[in-house]
Amino acid sequence: MSRLSGLRSLLDGGSLLTGEADLLSYSYDGALDRGRPEAVVLASNAEEVRRVVDWCLRRGVPFVARGAGTNLSGGCVALRGGVVISLAKLDRILEIDSETGVAVVEPGVVNLHLQKRLEGLGRFYAPDPASYRVCTLGGNAAENAGGPRCLKYGVTTNHVLAVEAVMPDATLRRFSIDEAGPEVLGLLVGAEGTLGVLTKLWLRTLPLPETIRTLLVAFPSLEGAMACVSGIIAAGVLPRVLEAMDRATVESIEAYCRAGYPASAAVLLIELDGAAAQVAVETGVVERLCRKHDCGEFRQADDPAERDRLWEGRRGAYAALARVAPNVLVEDGVVPRSALAEAARRVDAIAKRHRVRAALLFHAGDGNLHPNIAFDERDADQTRRVKAAGREILEACIELGGSISGEHGIGIDKREAMSWLFTQPTLDLFRRIKREFDPGGLSNPDKLFPSSASPPRRVSRPLSPAQKAVVDRLGSLSSPVTPRGTGTKLPEGALKIEILETSGMNAVLELDAANFTVTVEAGITLRRLREELRGRGLELGLAVSEGTVGGLIGAKSDPRLRDRLLGVRAALAGGEVVELGGKVVKNVAGYDVCKLLLGSWGSLAVILEATLRVFPASSKNEPPLLEPPAFEPFKPNPWQRAAKRAFDPGNLLSPWVFGSE
Amino acid sequence: MNNTLDKLRTALGERSSYDAASQCSRCGYCEQACPTYALSGREAFSPRGRNQLFRMMLEGKLKEPASAQEALSTCLLCGACSTACYAHIPTPDIVLEGRRSARAFAPLWARVAAWLLERPRVLSAALRLAAALQRLGLSALAEALGRPLPRLPGRSFRSRDVEGPRGSWAYFAACGPNYLFPEAAQSSCAALEKSRGPGGLLQGCCGLISYNYGELEKARDCARRLIERFESSGAQDLVGDCSSCVAHLKAYPQLFLGDPAWLPRAEKFSARVRDFIELPLDAARRQGARTEEKITYHDSCRARHGQGLHEAPRRLLREAYAGSFVELPEADWCCGGAGAFSFLHPELSEEILRRKIDNIASTGARIVATSSTSCLLQLARGLKKYYPECRVLHLSQALAQRPR
Repeated sequence: MSRLSGLRSLLDGGSLLTGEADLLSYSYDGALDRGRPEAVVLASNAEEVRRVVDWCLRRGVPFVARGAGTNLSGGCVALRGGVVISLAKLDRILEIDSETGVAVVEPGVVNLHLQKRLEGLGRFYAPDPASYRVCTLGGNAAENAGGPRCLKYGVTTNHVLAVEAVMPDATLRRFSIDEAGPEVLGLLVGAEGTLGVLTKLWLRTLPLPETIRTLLVAFPSLEGAMACVSGIIAAGVLPRVLEAMDRATVESIEAYCRAGYPASAAVLLIELDGAAAQVAVETGVVERLCRKHDCGEFRQADDPAERDRLWEGRRGAYAALARVAPNVLVEDGVVPRSALAEAARRVDAIAKRHRVRAALLFHAGDGNLHPNIAFDERDADQTRRVKAAGREILEACIELGGSISGEHGIGIDKREAMSWLFTQPTLDLFRRIKREFDPGGLSNPDKLFPSSASPPRRVSRPLSPAQKAVVDRLGSLSSPVTPRGTGTKLPEGALKIEILETSGMNAVLELDAANFTVTVEAGITLRRLREELRGRGLELGLAVSEGTVGGLIGAKSDPRLRDRLLGVRAALAGGEVVELGGKVVKNVAGYDVCKLLLGSWGSLAVILEATLRVFPASSKNEPPLLEPPAFEPFKPNPWQRAAKRAFDPGNLLSPWVFGSE
Repeated sequence: MNNTLDKLRTALGERSSYDAASQCSRCGYCEQACPTYALSGREAFSPRGRNQLFRMMLEGKLKEPASAQEALSTCLLCGACSTACYAHIPTPDIVLEGRRSARAFAPLWARVAAWLLERPRVLSAALRLAAALQRLGLSALAEALGRPLPRLPGRSFRSRDVEGPRGSWAYFAACGPNYLFPEAAQSSCAALEKSRGPGGLLQGCCGLISYNYGELEKARDCARRLIERFESSGAQDLVGDCSSCVAHLKAYPQLFLGDPAWLPRAEKFSARVRDFIELPLDAARRQGARTEEKITYHDSCRARHGQGLHEAPRRLLREAYAGSFVELPEADWCCGGAGAFSFLHPELSEEILRRKIDNIASTGARIVATSSTSCLLQLARGLKKYYPECRVLHLSQALAQRPR
């Protein structure tokens, strides 16, 4: 213990815990893995956190930030000992701007406490993870938490406007959404504490809707319910909540709390919000679609008490299972919405094969499914079977074009699954980012990454001839190039070096009208993409008129792009191809590198193709088109430079963006 | 001699204390319900932490069980965590098991207290003496020592009344109302008489102090004696007005799990125990008038979490006080009294009390009603110190003085 007792002198209001009971009580979180820290700092301010990180840095001691410790993936378990930095007592709401609604909070503020404060101001904070009564906003940001409401309003990263963080080099720095150049903010959110410790957050809050209507609808088949879900989204209705429960879940709810849910193969809980008139219209649309898909009982409520009654069963769903056995595996896969019914069938088959019972609970609107399996961790055989089933469920989600985590994170629990989802060059890129940000590997070490013993199974899809030409050129690069689409936004200096034309890559690779995603090659012009979409009754919903998709991303020409860009395939200066994100709306696996590419002006990688969220055509989404903004030189911060080194250490891509140090 | 229960009654059926603690999936949903965690932010001071430590003690993973002492001893036993928990894990009972297995003897103070409570005459005499001393200025001394005593009544409730049950109900004169708050006992009995006709009286120690701090066998002795006396009284039900004691009476079967002779008797007994605050009192039915003075209600933990009573006392107050009744923010948060907690952990207790009084002050209430001895003592002290415009009354007293 002596090696850490020096920490005490760094604290002015916080405390240092080193007793055995205290250390053991920080050895777990909401998942199964354990790791015992050597000391726990209950920090009382950001400067204390910085001093502790600095102390650790000088001595090579690992540190792990922790909020309420409710995460479900082992993210805040200290695998290598060291120090747990508890942020639970940094729990002040510092400011809520009455004009803009921006809330400035410390990371230990409990989600519910912010919600309560906002309620009095007629506002709310959208992310609402199931643990919102106890989990902290800092933890939510570190895990990029979701919740039922994120279908309409987006996950945590869509609501974090800025953060202050103690970086692994023990400097305190603020990162914001409107910084010029590659966006570091988006990288820190969801990084699970591996790239620094968040000490302050600026959060977007929204006005409470005028009306909320809750619908509870029974369906005779899960397929019917899922088809109805797709139909609702296709009709242009975006409910604030679109939850689904299968028969097993409904049965366990009824056994537990008799919520009066209809005994049926599937139940949907739908919630619409907005102006009263609009809610009325949307209710009509939803009801028609439900009837079309042969729904059974259809109930609705506006009154808070009655709405509460409809919610009772959904809210009790986890509780109902928590009573069956001591542990519940809440698996967290995502698939494209259209694959939900198939995913449910596969989960069922997997559960049967491993002799476990999986009750399904979906955030159906965004394809996020939670198969819940009750078990007793003290039964080694049962635990092994449950874990095996969990693994196979994730594999199935990947096969169906989805991801291994929609909102719970990777932590320890899903490290190995990372190598099923990502290709070797992509994992290597993640590792280089980690190394450039945290050369000592001290900030929450051993999380997120698969052990090198498990070689990636994922292989890249074949490249198109046009993509291959670009990749080949990058593979043999010896002097700098500027990637160019139509070149509408490039500064003069950019054109003085060799130009790498991307306009040859101009195919629409997949237009998935059911899931409202489009995957295109990066050189396609926005003009042509719009035409293609219009032909399918879809629209882009972005304000930029000219240029290519690659240019749109590189220049971050429209801030909304941040929430629309789902996945990217890009080539690095050495010719390696990385695949980031995917085509699901909700995805918290790995670093959110897509956001780093926004505003990178081609200086990190050459985008080969991108997957964007699109919308059913309606005049309200398509904004008036504007000329794209031109490049404005900016001074990169040290962390943007760190990202640059991870991507392009030789400064071969758009070297004019970063300049020479 | 074995001083642990080993088997507990849980919401999921009879379980070993190990199984009961292992039911915790570590979801952490209890954390903010726990005053000691919410204030300290320290995991070991949370219900999840305490359950895990108990479990690790039994699994031999905690090499120095003594290091868990602080975590176990700082539990208020309020049970707010069990209410929040999906599986309703009985953390207070598990913590008590942990405390019992970690200590060889009951602390001296607990043994003295248990001895006194079983000897009403000695206790009455002692309290009379203390009251006399208080009038002679001892309270100033106590205040100077930082632990002000409540104003002692001088005469206990029982000594003013006839003993021996009669009629359909018997009033359980618990030690608190009997010795410290005879006016509360008086009001409770008056209200009971008014709505149900004449009743009887049963005085004795429920054994909670031995259950919480001392020896289980002593707690069982108290329980057996009370059960026998109640059985021979012929009364239909036993009504108590100290919610801590009542919750314990209702939990008597837990003391006799595995005792075929006493378990059925304990079950029959417990089924007939009522808390004053859960009774539909006709007397309170007549609508009171609205007054300028606001009244609020603090949930005794053993009423709210120990017995699941929430709506009934509020209904009584709303009926009696019409619109003058205001809901207390965090009404079901412990006041920090929690039996012996306030003198075993004075600093933590004070912090919890401060938050409670701040909440009471935020309502602007002039009266706060509640239903446990421990809350009456703690809130009286806190109000005097931080919000003297308000006074605390037992619910039965508040109903008796309702505006007309």
